[in-house]
Amino acid sequence: MNADGTINAQKIRKSFGPKTVLKDVDLDIASGEICCIIGPSGSGKSTLLRCINGLETVDSGILKVNGEDFGYYETDTAYHALPPKKLALQRTRVGMVFQSFNLFPNMTARENVMAGPVLVKHADKKQSTKQAQELLTSVGLGAFGDRYPAELSGGQQQRVAIARSLAMNPDIILFDEPTSALDPEKVGEVLAVMQDLAKKGMTMVVVTHEMGFAREVADSLIFMDDGNVVERGDAREILTNPKEPRTQAFLKQVL
Amino acid sequence: MNGLDPALKPRLKRRSTFEYVSWVVCILVGIGVLSSVATNPNFKWDVVAKYFTHESILRGLMLTIFLTVASMALGTLLGLGLAIMRASSIKPIATLAGVYITIFRGTPVLVQLIFWFNLSALYPNLSIGIPFTDIGTAIDTNALMGPITAALIGLTLNEAAYMAEIIRGGFSSVGKGQIEAADSLGMSGAMKMRKVIIPQAMPSIIPATGNQVIGMFKGTSLVSVLGVAELLQSAQLIYARTYETIPLLIVASLWYLVMTMLLSYPQSKLEQKYSHTSARVPRKARKVTLTAPEGIAR
Repeated sequence: MNADGTINAQKIRKSFGPKTVLKDVDLDIASGEICCIIGPSGSGKSTLLRCINGLETVDSGILKVNGEDFGYYETDTAYHALPPKKLALQRTRVGMVFQSFNLFPNMTARENVMAGPVLVKHADKKQSTKQAQELLTSVGLGAFGDRYPAELSGGQQQRVAIARSLAMNPDIILFDEPTSALDPEKVGEVLAVMQDLAKKGMTMVVVTHEMGFAREVADSLIFMDDGNVVERGDAREILTNPKEPRTQAFLKQVL
Repeated sequence: MNGLDPALKPRLKRRSTFEYVSWVVCILVGIGVLSSVATNPNFKWDVVAKYFTHESILRGLMLTIFLTVASMALGTLLGLGLAIMRASSIKPIATLAGVYITIFRGTPVLVQLIFWFNLSALYPNLSIGIPFTDIGTAIDTNALMGPITAALIGLTLNEAAYMAEIIRGGFSSVGKGQIEAADSLGMSGAMKMRKVIIPQAMPSIIPATGNQVIGMFKGTSLVSVLGVAELLQSAQLIYARTYETIPLLIVASLWYLVMTMLLSYPQSKLEQKYSHTSARVPRKARKVTLTAPEGIAR
C-alpha cells in the first residue's frame, strides 16, 4: 500500500522538563487530507506539529510519517535515532511553514525558493530557477523574485515561505499558525494560497486560529487542550456541533 | 506680526548657549595645541619629514602590514574553526575549544610572544613522526623558531581566541527560526553553516573584526621585543643611533594613524555587502506592482 502523504501517530508522549506537553496523543491523517488543529495556547498543538518534521523528538510512542518511522528505526528492544543524513532525507518530504516565516534574509525570494532543491537535492540550477519562477507566480509573486525578505510585506513573505516548502515537492506540508503574525488585511492572501494548495490534493496539517479557514477548507479538525486530543472528527461538524464541554467552551470564546 | 506668511516661515532649531561656548573653547584649545606643537623646536618636524619615507621605515611598515594581514587571516580561520567547535554538540570538542580560548585570552600576548620565541627551553628538538615508532624526523627548535616565525605564531594563536569569541557571538545572533527553517528543508550541518548561519552572522562579525584588525595593526609593535624589524623597531633602531627619539616615534605613530584610517574604508564596504537589501539589484526589477490574489472569506 502506498503510504505517501500519511501521518500515523500512536500514544505520542513529549515532555519539556517536568511539564508533559503531549499526553499519549493519537493522530491519523490520510493522504490528501486537510486537517486543522485548534486549541488554546499551551495545549501542545504546535509541539505536535513540530514532532512531525523532527524539530522536536517524541519521548515515546509510535510516529510514522509517509509510512516510515520518523527520525528513528525500530529494533526488538528500542527505537534508535537515525543518522543525520537519513533524518534530513525524511525531512525533505515534509514541508514546514512557520508563524514567523523564517525566510533566509540573506537570500532573495527566488533564492529562498531555490534553496531546498539546489542546496539539498543538488538539482539542476536552470531547472530550479524555472521551477522557482512558476512557484512564485502560483503564489501571486511572480514579479518579486529579486526582492529580499526585508523588502516584502508579511503576507508576501509567508507566500514565499509556502513556495519555498513546495519547491521540495513534499508529500505533506505542516503550517504552524501561518497567519498569526500577519496584519489582519494580509491574512486573506495567505489563506487563499493555502486553499489553492488544498484543492491540489496536498496533505496539510494546519495549526490555526482561523475558524473560517477550518470551516471552509479542512476535512478534519482536532481540538487539543492540555496535551490531549479532546475531540476530533469532521471539521464542519465539530465547529457547528461540538460534543465535548471543553470544545464548546473554547469555540464559544473564539467564534 | 508682519513679514512672511506664518504657514511658510521656516522652523529653526534651538541652539543652546552651551553649544556656542563649546565651539569657542574647542577652537581656542585647538589653536593653543597646534601652535605649541608647530613652534616647539623639540618636535623637530624637519627630522620627521626626513625619516617619514626613509627606506628602513618603509621596510618596517611593510613587515608590519605583512604580520597584520598574515596573522589576522590565519587567526580568523583558526578562530572560525574554534567557534564551530565551541558550538558543537559533542562535549569534548566544545570543551577543547573553550579551554584554548580561556588560556589564550587569559594571558598577555606579550608573554605569549616571548614564550614562543623561547620554546627551545621547553622542547630543544621538535619532531614529526608516528608516535611510539622510529619513523619521522626531528629538527632543532631554535632553527625553526626565528623571531618572525615566533611573532606569527604568537599573534595568530592569540588572535584566534578573540576571533573565536567574536564569531561565536555572531552565530548566536542568528535566530532559532532560521536554523529550524534550514533543518526543515533537510540541510546538512555544514550547508546550514555555510549558507544560512555564516552569511547572517557577518553583519555582527564585521565591525568587531574591523576593530581587531586595527588592534592587531598596532599590536604588532609588541613583536619589537623579539627584535623583529617592524615599524616600531625600525624607528627604534634609527633613534638608538641618532638620539632623535621623539621625531622617530612621531614618524611611526603617523604611519599607524594613516593605516588605521585607511582600514575603515574596506570595513564600510564589507558592511554594505552584507546588508541584505536589493540595493544591488537593478532598479527595473524592483519597480513592478502586483495585486494580491483575492482573499477568501474569513
